[in-house]
Amino acid sequence: MRKENFMKKQKNLIRLSNLLLDSLSEVKKAKLLQIQSVMEDFNIKCSEATKDSSLFCTAIEKGWLTGVENILSRIDRNLNDFSYYLQKFKELVNTDQAALPKFSEIYAELVQIEQEFGEIKFDSDKKTLSVTTEPITLEDIPLGPFEVQLSIGQIAKLYSDTPYGIIALEPNPASSNDSVTHPHVSDERLCEGDGRVAIRSAIEQGRFCDFFTMVVNILQTYNPDSPHISLDDWEGISCYDCGSTVSSDDCYYCEYCNEEYCSECSTYCQKCETTICLGCAYECPNCNVPVCHNCTAKCKKCEETFCKDCLTEEGLCNNCEEQRKENENEEQEQLSAEPKADVAVQPDSVGKTIVHA
Amino acid sequence: MRILYVNNDGAGFADYVNVTEGTTVEQFFTIKMEGREPSDYMIRVNRQPVPKDYVLQDGDRVTITPTKIEGARPALA
Repeated sequence: MRKENFMKKQKNLIRLSNLLLDSLSEVKKAKLLQIQSVMEDFNIKCSEATKDSSLFCTAIEKGWLTGVENILSRIDRNLNDFSYYLQKFKELVNTDQAALPKFSEIYAELVQIEQEFGEIKFDSDKKTLSVTTEPITLEDIPLGPFEVQLSIGQIAKLYSDTPYGIIALEPNPASSNDSVTHPHVSDERLCEGDGRVAIRSAIEQGRFCDFFTMVVNILQTYNPDSPHISLDDWEGISCYDCGSTVSSDDCYYCEYCNEEYCSECSTYCQKCETTICLGCAYECPNCNVPVCHNCTAKCKKCEETFCKDCLTEEGLCNNCEEQRKENENEEQEQLSAEPKADVAVQPDSVGKTIVHA
Repeated sequence: MRILYVNNDGAGFADYVNVTEGTTVEQFFTIKMEGREPSDYMIRVNRQPVPKDYVLQDGDRVTITPTKIEGARPALA
């Protein structure tokens, strides 16, 4: 039974070594294709220079001086491009072209990974190779263990994409952003910082154990100068308005927009005492206090919005109410100034008694 | 004698270098990583941990990997 397991393990390592070797061949091929592409660009520039040279000679022979000047200015323009392509071509050709590692070297890498990390996980369907870190704690914040998952099929895209992911196995993400599971990991992508070039060199040269070691070492190191979310703010909540991080005890939930805010960006309705953000708060133009939407109403006359306390029972604001009263008074005054037509006037002599002497 | 030196510090490289006979791994580290502390690095010879007085042999493979590598958020474009 033990022998069978050993054989199975060996078989897996051999299969994995072959897969890794194939993917490294793809990286090599991609680099060679890049050289080919630059070489073709350079050849085009050379052909243009040859053509210009021939035209230049013809123009001189024929005495077409204007034509000569035109060709010269084109040559001048092309020379700038030419030097750029030449430099690019030289850089690519001079780049250290790592030789493809041997099968035995890849196999030894896998054995070393097992020694360093305890276990190697190979998913033959997804074609991924993974190691698991010890639980990581940075500045007393437990972040749990992480799985470093190398996608073998993505290795060919080494210089255009990241061929590996960092999966938090017992995630303790930043409270303000669930996708940040480590100060240097967001959406399962590691920000490699100082390790970027060395990590790519290690993968390209088939030094997979070095690759995993460096990634794990980045995960075990905290760079306070450039985290996605600082560990100081790890357990806080980001204010939806100003973005500052506050502890969960110091954050306020706005029931109107369903977001969380810091104390600077929130207030409360001074009528019903509901917590609201400054954006959802409305300052009554009459009493100048912030109120929530539910505690406001429009004046039935001027249609301006006020807090409900600043409207009369008839739904009028102070100004409109005053105006209404003034109008009412004016009407009364007018009425009192006019003669009362409906009052019966006693006719002359009525009520007088005739006195007879 | 010649050994394969893999340095994972900085840009990272692997190259063959000449060392004098009898050089210990500690001396090699001091020469190559001047001013650095060995405790900040993981040193392996032929993929294995070795004592600091291990005498390097022709054809050995020495790997030096920093234990603290600072990650960084990508700069905004």
